[in-house]
Amino acid sequence: MNMPPQRLFQIVLFAYPRDFRRDYGQQMEQFFRDCYRAERVTRGRLGLGGLWVRTLLDLARTAPREHLETLRKDNAIMKNPGKNALAFLGSIVLIVVAFLLLSYGKKHEISTILIFGRILDAGMTAGIVGNLIIFLLITITRLNPLRIALWTLLVVHGALLLVTIVVGSKVDPAFSLSGVLLGYIVSFLFWFSLHWIWSKAIGPLAVSHES
Amino acid sequence: MPLRPSVFHILLALSDGDLHGYGIMQEVAEHTDGQIKLGPGTLYGAIKRLLSERLIVEVDERPDPELDDERRRYYRLTDFGQKVLKAEVQRISKMVSVAQRKRLIPKPRS
Repeated sequence: MNMPPQRLFQIVLFAYPRDFRRDYGQQMEQFFRDCYRAERVTRGRLGLGGLWVRTLLDLARTAPREHLETLRKDNAIMKNPGKNALAFLGSIVLIVVAFLLLSYGKKHEISTILIFGRILDAGMTAGIVGNLIIFLLITITRLNPLRIALWTLLVVHGALLLVTIVVGSKVDPAFSLSGVLLGYIVSFLFWFSLHWIWSKAIGPLAVSHES
Repeated sequence: MPLRPSVFHILLALSDGDLHGYGIMQEVAEHTDGQIKLGPGTLYGAIKRLLSERLIVEVDERPDPELDDERRRYYRLTDFGQKVLKAEVQRISKMVSVAQRKRLIPKPRS
């Protein structure tokens, strides 16, 4: 199949963000057409090869930059790096404190702390997995962050609960279905409340991407 | 400040008058003896930023409407763009003077 260079360049343009293509795509096509014509007349095939090499190297350098700029412009996550770093550190501190508290309870057999063991287990596992997925989805999509958080937390908690029920009942003789169920329900409520508070604190930026 | 080389060359190219994208590329290639050939991503990425920083504007007027393709878009240096370009040229010329005093490059013959 012999594809015309103009058509090939149109395909190459798909490497750039949609908004950039909308604003400058036609001009870039015209630019490439002019360059192609000039190279063909002045330097022939060698010139055309050089033009393609230059164009592709330029694309490799500039397309990621344009995507990064689009992400910075579109996402609250990237706009408030200080706040987000603080929230991330806060979450780590919470997890560490919970872990230390649980270890202390186990060591000294303090029943009131052990009661929360299952909640802490569920909260930590679902929190790490769920928040990682939420962070990635908020970064790469334009969907409502609170809705992303709700569905991700529901799916992650549901999947982990299912795995725990299937595996836990086989490996742990003291397995308690009601304890695990309670743990995942409280964990879900905790993490979703945190995201809800976060979306309210950041304001409309965090929930303004849905078209 | 300092400006990126591609941005500096684009502003320099527009200092003589309005140009479209391909015209800017030709002008830059000419005043750098063909050493810098702007690619489409570099050129239009820089144009996008220059427009948002109001260093250049898009203009409707064309140098020769009879000969030109009306789909082409022309760009013009703003007053602010001119000030920025002059400041950058002065910064570079100061550096060149220092390099000349240190005999890193020869002084121009008067």
